[in-house]
Amino acid sequence: MGSRWTWRALAAPGVIWLAVFFLVAFYAVIAVAFGNEDSLSQPVPFWNPLDWNVGYVIQVLKNIVHGEQFLTVFLRTFAFVAIAMALSLAIGYPVAYFAARHAGRWKMLVLLLLILPFWINYLMRMLAWINLLSPDGWATRFLHTVGIEQLFIWLGLLSTEGGWLDGQPSTVILALVYGYVPFLIIPLFAALDRIDQRQIEAARDLGASPFSGFLRVTLPLSTPGILAGCVLVALPMFGDYYTPDLVSASAKTNMIGNQIDQLTRQGSEKVVGAVLTLILSAVLLVLMVYYLRATRRAGAEAAEA
Amino acid sequence: MAHPKDEHALTRRRLLQGAAGVTLGAGALGALTGCENTTTPTGSGTGPVQSRFVEAKPVGPGGLPLPRPDNAVTWAITEDNKPILDGRPVEAGPLKIYNYADYIWTGLVQRFEKKYSAKVELATYDTADQAIAKLASGKVTFDVILGLTGSNIVNLIAQQLLMPLNHSYLPNLEKNVWPELQDPFYDRGSRYTVPYVVWSDGIGWRNDKLKEDVAAMDVPWDIFWHSQAYKGKVGVLDDKRDTLSMPMQRDAMHTGARPDLNTEDPAVLEKAGKDLQQLTDICNVKIAYNDYQTLPEAKTYLHHAWSGDIVGAAIYYMPKGVKPDVLSYWAPDANGVVQNDFLCIGRHTKNPVLAHNFIDFVLDEKNAYDNFVQQNGYIPPQKGIDADLLIKQGLIPKSLAGAVTRPDQFAANQELLQLSVEGERAWDDAWSKFKAG
Repeated sequence: MGSRWTWRALAAPGVIWLAVFFLVAFYAVIAVAFGNEDSLSQPVPFWNPLDWNVGYVIQVLKNIVHGEQFLTVFLRTFAFVAIAMALSLAIGYPVAYFAARHAGRWKMLVLLLLILPFWINYLMRMLAWINLLSPDGWATRFLHTVGIEQLFIWLGLLSTEGGWLDGQPSTVILALVYGYVPFLIIPLFAALDRIDQRQIEAARDLGASPFSGFLRVTLPLSTPGILAGCVLVALPMFGDYYTPDLVSASAKTNMIGNQIDQLTRQGSEKVVGAVLTLILSAVLLVLMVYYLRATRRAGAEAAEA
Repeated sequence: MAHPKDEHALTRRRLLQGAAGVTLGAGALGALTGCENTTTPTGSGTGPVQSRFVEAKPVGPGGLPLPRPDNAVTWAITEDNKPILDGRPVEAGPLKIYNYADYIWTGLVQRFEKKYSAKVELATYDTADQAIAKLASGKVTFDVILGLTGSNIVNLIAQQLLMPLNHSYLPNLEKNVWPELQDPFYDRGSRYTVPYVVWSDGIGWRNDKLKEDVAAMDVPWDIFWHSQAYKGKVGVLDDKRDTLSMPMQRDAMHTGARPDLNTEDPAVLEKAGKDLQQLTDICNVKIAYNDYQTLPEAKTYLHHAWSGDIVGAAIYYMPKGVKPDVLSYWAPDANGVVQNDFLCIGRHTKNPVLAHNFIDFVLDEKNAYDNFVQQNGYIPPQKGIDADLLIKQGLIPKSLAGAVTRPDQFAANQELLQLSVEGERAWDDAWSKFKAG
């Protein structure tokens, strides 16, 4: 009995932390989104759900349904995040696979190198890229020398030579990948590292080729890691606003985070900013529910296997 | 379509439910009773005077008048918020100053600390909105507030966030400051504010990269709409008021009309927003205010700019081997944007005399000059500082003479001033659409 209470007490600080810094803060956003403005354009939160004003939510939903600016920005944000997530996976999976399955005794060193970018602040890393990608920057010269720049121009992903910072969606997507890919690699590494080697050997013993073994054993068993990694990179990418601001600053790369930032910090429409935050959260909640269902299914399939 | 705010009218009960609403509502109500307008507002649909014989004019929060050059306002001094008496002793401090980051030279602050044997604490804000919200919360007291402008003045007064000034502590105001700004229309008698720095909105460009002579064009603003050759290297300011007013100025220059840069006409704003949207296709325009870095580094060639940033760029940001005369600047002599910001005293200051002393110290000609050349880049409206002096001293090249705002230019242009709540929302909507791409 006593032991049970001890464990509950140990959980208390975390629960209180979450309650104060997540639930209360989130409820404040809801209260503002369903609130009103005073005569000085400052938000007046309505804490009591019975008083909630749905006018602002309807206004934003109408804007989206009528295909106005919020729909444009939401769609762009989804496209950027989807592409950046897919690229992160394409880059991160082989790296995590190598680290977990083939790095041998260098495994920890490889993992350390993966975490290394975290030692430098995200903003500083992005600022460094501004210099590296400037027309005479080292990265620009390298990309030109190895032909990647020409390939991007040929694909229509870059308008001019050396124009990486000229407001290109491709630069924003690559910057998002660069900034968040370690968040994907680490849970993926953990998932791949946990796979029982004997299961892969069993597949090979039963006649599976290396590729078929990977496809039918390793890949399904690493699904929880893939999903966790995708969730970890997608969530901050959806709310990101400083990456497009820093590497582009063009209206063509404006993401929903930029609109929320502008509305809540600089304008008279803070309630609209809160509504956009809420809609974004609702969309992310749907993705989270899908993630939870998918991981449960993957867990059940793994148990059956 | 009615706005959600109007559809769901703010009842007294609801106002009381919001802590912010209580403070702000009470502030606005208090100020409303104490406002005297030298030229009575000419009527409004929502304001205090309604008449079918005059055109309705927008009004500010709580029905307060919106200052305009043709509608000067004298803000009242209320019983509960009077200026300090003459000849009081100086407090020991510390003096708390609230301003934008890097907006005052720390050497000047140290000079003040030494002169008055008082410590100074600097706190910074990112946006005027943020500053006003913090001041209105009443949680923090600041002695001197620096950097707010005519686009915020009604909010500052409506919430009684400022202490009225006693000019007997500010001899440098009359002695040094431009006469045009000693009795401004937005604060007749400089009762609550004195000017800190001035600037114009114009065009900054790299004359070694652009083949056009922008200043020689019939309508220099047209350069943005003819900038296909500089795609990706063109920027406008990330500020809704300054940037939406740019296509309005362009239209007015074409037709020879005088634009109203404080308009609340949705049709004018929609057109301005659409004109700006064209720039996304023409030159993939950047929306940023780091032109003081990107122009010297040639990351942009052409930028809508505040004059102070271009002067600052020439003085502090030129890369090694690049001379400042590669920068040029043009601003209209008339019908464009000029702006000044304020030095004010927080209503609940604990160091009112020291705060007055600080303001007077900043208005001293040498101090104002040093602050400008050592850190700020924005010109103080001082009688003794002009473009000729700065060029003679080699501080700025001749190509940037236009970036030093003149008193006559200040008088012939327009300030971006506080709008009605509905007007502010209309500007925000147009800006949000432009930024969405």
